[in-house]
Amino acid sequence: MPVRFFHYLMVAPVQLLLLVIIGVPSLFVLWQGLTEFSYGQEAVFVGLDNYRNILADRAFWRAFTNTFIIVNAVVYVELAAAIGVSLLFAGGVPLRRLMIAILLVPYAVNEVTAVVMWRFMLEPNVGMITQLLETVGLPSLNWPIDRWHALTVIVLLSVWLHLPFTTIIIYTARLSIPQELYEAARTDGASGWQTFFYVTFPMLIPAILIALLFRYVFAFRIFGEVWLLTRGGPAGSTEVLATYLYRHSFRYLELGKASAIGWVMLVTTLLMAMPYLRQVYKRMLSQNE
Amino acid sequence: MNRRPWWVSGLRYVALAAVLLWSGFPILLMILASLKPDREIFRFPPSFIFRPTLANYVELFTSRPAFFDALLNSLIITVGATVLTVVSSTLAGYVYSRYRNTALAGTAFFMIVIRMLPPIIITLPLFPAVNALGLQDTHLVLIVLYATFFVSLNSWIMKAFIDQIPRELDEAAIVDGASTVKVLRYVIVPLSVQGMIATATFVFVFSWNEFLFAFIFTTSNAKTAPLVISEMLSSLAGIDWGVLFAAATLQFIPIVVLVILLQRFVVAGLTVGSVKG
Repeated sequence: MPVRFFHYLMVAPVQLLLLVIIGVPSLFVLWQGLTEFSYGQEAVFVGLDNYRNILADRAFWRAFTNTFIIVNAVVYVELAAAIGVSLLFAGGVPLRRLMIAILLVPYAVNEVTAVVMWRFMLEPNVGMITQLLETVGLPSLNWPIDRWHALTVIVLLSVWLHLPFTTIIIYTARLSIPQELYEAARTDGASGWQTFFYVTFPMLIPAILIALLFRYVFAFRIFGEVWLLTRGGPAGSTEVLATYLYRHSFRYLELGKASAIGWVMLVTTLLMAMPYLRQVYKRMLSQNE
Repeated sequence: MNRRPWWVSGLRYVALAAVLLWSGFPILLMILASLKPDREIFRFPPSFIFRPTLANYVELFTSRPAFFDALLNSLIITVGATVLTVVSSTLAGYVYSRYRNTALAGTAFFMIVIRMLPPIIITLPLFPAVNALGLQDTHLVLIVLYATFFVSLNSWIMKAFIDQIPRELDEAAIVDGASTVKVLRYVIVPLSVQGMIATATFVFVFSWNEFLFAFIFTTSNAKTAPLVISEMLSSLAGIDWGVLFAAATLQFIPIVVLVILLQRFVVAGLTVGSVKG
């Protein structure tokens, strides 16, 4: 069937929203990043100065390092947990629907409430987990002061919030592995570990790659958990790129510099998504022939 | 058929208990704490049997009536964003499923690339733009922003669902002289309701819970519930934990009920949207 004008009109609302709210503003940010200005000021073109300043700023590198640490920890802890949970559930659990519902619940919790819940348990001196650690004689948690404790709590929170997503991706992939493969493995006398390494894991790889890609891209934006828990402090030691950007745009009103940070984030995101985007591009091209 | 050694079964139950504890315990603890009098809240070890009280909820109602306005704002914004997203994504999903040419393929690719960009970037130019238009602190801004960040994923999900409807059905209708509107109304929409519910659930949960945009674009009139909870959390006068738990519980209960009821669609949508997209 030929594409008619009417069909373009039907995709227009979606495309217009994306173009007007994300596309054009992103390009505007690219331009803004090459200027120096603040609200109510004339923008002055400064070339790549903002980028040079950022790259020379130790606070930027700290934010970058923290983001790098958090993203990698979150993504791989989540993936390992999701594979474990998926295998556990695929092996059969009682009351499966109820169990999956409980597993899904954190998906419905917003990051503010998650911070409330976890702070309640981890509050210095009075939190339940803090007191439990003290009772058994372990060193206590001191996340308001200690950078590594804070980063650990941030990772914990983030994994808690997003584990349902990763688990569903891996679990549904696990369920779609044909049962015959497992029967064949059993006939050949494969042990549990052999079955995992030669059947389950290879069959899960496409789903694992998808989960990794999406979680990398989304974990990289992390803002709420950090902002609500530590405000990037103490003394900027838990700052991530998004809070660093926020500080420069809405607190210091250095919009040129903030825009440059924005483009660093944008380019990094696209680089992470590149393998996936290339694959989608190829598939679309082949469908179009 | 289950011939696992006893210790493997035992370990599996331990693991299952750990998973449930991890997912459910923080939530259970908060809901219970919202029903406790202040002095009980931080008692260690925590009590699970106690006389529940609604004092925290009453205090929330009397001392922070703004929270209930915020819940209403959240509802208005969430419903607005959901309707906008589902309608626009269904239209786009239909076209992407049934028609193909270079221009459409280009826009489809654009749609996928742009959904990757970190949302915080666009707050930079949009903040002054929204102010210049006099739209700061309105429901409309958040409705449009939330919809924008989900139309891409949701068009893709709708396309995947509509792909499963046999083409012969709508082609036959077109041969019989039905207009595109009629094809949508009588063929596509009734057969892709599952997809529409899945996409609606995604935007609904996202909009109900979103923090960053609400934090940047609203100050009083259109403030959403998560934002008010975050203010209670960072109150300079110290945190009133009981009231905070009551507010968080009220924000959380409706959405969790919805997610559990629509569990099947959430799973189907996530699978279709990420694995096939």
